[in-house]
Amino acid sequence: MAEIVASTRSAIPQEPPRRYSPMAEFWQRFSQNVLAVLGLLIIIAFLFVGLFAPWLAPYSHTDQDLANTEASPSLAHPLGTDRVGRDQFSRLIWGARTALIVAPTSVIIGLTLGLLLGSAAGYFGGWVDTIIMRISDVLFAFPGLLFAMLIASTLQPRIESWLLSIEAAKPFVRSGYAEFFVVIAALSLVGWPGIARIIRGQILTLREQPFIEAAQAVGVPSWRILTHHLLPNALTPIIVSLSMGMGGAILAESTLSFYGIGIQPPTASWGAMIINNFQFWRTPSAPWMVWAPGLTVGVLVFAFNFVGDGLNEALNPRRS
Amino acid sequence: MTPLLDVRDLETRFFTRAGTVHAVNGISFSVNEGETVGMVGESGSGKSVTALSLLRLIPSPPGRITKGEILFGGRDLRNVDLGAMRAIRGHEIAMVFQDPMSAFNPILTIERQLTEGMRVHLGMSAQQARKRALDLLDMVGIAHPEAQLCSYPHQLSGGMRQRVMIAMALSCSPKLLIADEPTTALDVTIQAQIVDLIQRLKRELGMAILWITHDLGVTAALADRLLVMYAGQIVEEGPLRPLYADPRHPYTIGLLQSIPRLDRGRQDKLNPIEGAPPDLVTYPVGCPFTPRCPFAIPQCHTEDPPLMEVGMGQAAACWVRPHGGELLRPQSIQTVEIPSQGS
Repeated sequence: MAEIVASTRSAIPQEPPRRYSPMAEFWQRFSQNVLAVLGLLIIIAFLFVGLFAPWLAPYSHTDQDLANTEASPSLAHPLGTDRVGRDQFSRLIWGARTALIVAPTSVIIGLTLGLLLGSAAGYFGGWVDTIIMRISDVLFAFPGLLFAMLIASTLQPRIESWLLSIEAAKPFVRSGYAEFFVVIAALSLVGWPGIARIIRGQILTLREQPFIEAAQAVGVPSWRILTHHLLPNALTPIIVSLSMGMGGAILAESTLSFYGIGIQPPTASWGAMIINNFQFWRTPSAPWMVWAPGLTVGVLVFAFNFVGDGLNEALNPRRS
Repeated sequence: MTPLLDVRDLETRFFTRAGTVHAVNGISFSVNEGETVGMVGESGSGKSVTALSLLRLIPSPPGRITKGEILFGGRDLRNVDLGAMRAIRGHEIAMVFQDPMSAFNPILTIERQLTEGMRVHLGMSAQQARKRALDLLDMVGIAHPEAQLCSYPHQLSGGMRQRVMIAMALSCSPKLLIADEPTTALDVTIQAQIVDLIQRLKRELGMAILWITHDLGVTAALADRLLVMYAGQIVEEGPLRPLYADPRHPYTIGLLQSIPRLDRGRQDKLNPIEGAPPDLVTYPVGCPFTPRCPFAIPQCHTEDPPLMEVGMGQAAACWVRPHGGELLRPQSIQTVEIPSQGS
């Protein structure tokens, strides 16, 4: 009898339990989603293209081949040239740079604003909450794109003339990056209310959780509870909306440029390429000049949405 | 000797849309250094609200401490500023919560949560805190502390989590440990382990404990003194043995009688207390236990009895103060106690 007891004792595993990091678990789930991985690869490819545009593009996006305007696709110009002889393929590549500057920056600024305002609203409540959420309601009442257009079209000339008055900023304006400024500002201003709402909702739910009370009972200061306990728990929807928002921002940038109030020529933007080449849809018939940039926008937006879906599934605790 | 914690006439109310909830109604009690005080009562009797009031963690709005003093180490905790209160929470008064599942942040490692108090209160570096965390986990009987430190709460069992929570509460060597039903959410075997652990830690560390529970068996194993709460009042208090042997408040008698016993036949029905606790919004006139009390006399309907001395340190808030011990068989008192000492 004693031997049996002894043997059962020794059968209890004495090795420390193995722990997988949440990161490894996440990656294991994410990598099973084929579309999400495909999306991620597409995004990485676009990042590469955008980053190395000057070396990848056969021509500069501003180079004009005046002997070869409105050319059909050839070996020299794979996608042909536009009215002023600019190589469309090169402009497509440079357009990636534009999209990948505008979209992440505006999304990150919008996220930061949304994070700060949303967590303040949720955590402090009362009049802070009321003011912030009413402002976001007002912004929500406008169609986002319309509002971004309003900002971009009214502020662009002013900001540029103001920047031109500063000697040091002149090269910056001439390089064409000043207009990025306005587009990014417009898009982030439209983007934050959505994030703020998500964060506020998360904080309101999490605030009532017993572990917050437990943290208070340990004597953790309020700001530390907010940054160390509440926000990390709200991270999942933030990451997902970040990825989804990226696709939206690329689309919005293209749309603004399509309407001529976003990125100005000669800087390459896919949206501007579509509108500028619109006349070639029928005469002379060169539809690829329209659908090539259009398709590019579509692929990238889809890629971000697939990644967003994949993140949502992989991070959703209810699935584990 | 001045007690470590001296609560005087504490009153906590919740001002809700449905009306004012009279959660705690002028209770006074004290906890001496190194003493274990059990606070028993059924759900909704104001035990947890009392515990949260002591740490000033009543969610406000709608809750508020409306009256009384909470003297801790000579200071009235009702008057200290929030910064000083925060320095007391987790440092001088620590709390163990009922549900070890939800009292941990699900996405932070055990290490982060266990060391947080030490880093906030004792200003320890990450390495120092980690070292102490390992000692603490070892002390509460957790195997492979290194591996457990990088675990997440969902990877631990309920019993282990409760041990970690106890380690967390003890991390800054508090003078007073408030345990709010720490064994309620656990299996019976694990309950006994936790009770054992607390007993051992109390002997080793000598802190005072305020043990809140509705389990009279657990209090019998641990407490030096007992406070019985009903409808936000202390209806009876006294040293453990005399109170169990001769309870003088009908509610205490009822509580002791409603425990299932092995020494009674299976055919015997349990003796539950009939009825339900009063609605704390429309607080009754007279003794709140009257509607459920088999001993009630006319005076009970009109006047709320104060605590009245009935023996050595024992007091009951009852006009009748019947001798309940006669209703309980002497040997049955033994079965209430858990023989966990030295096991």
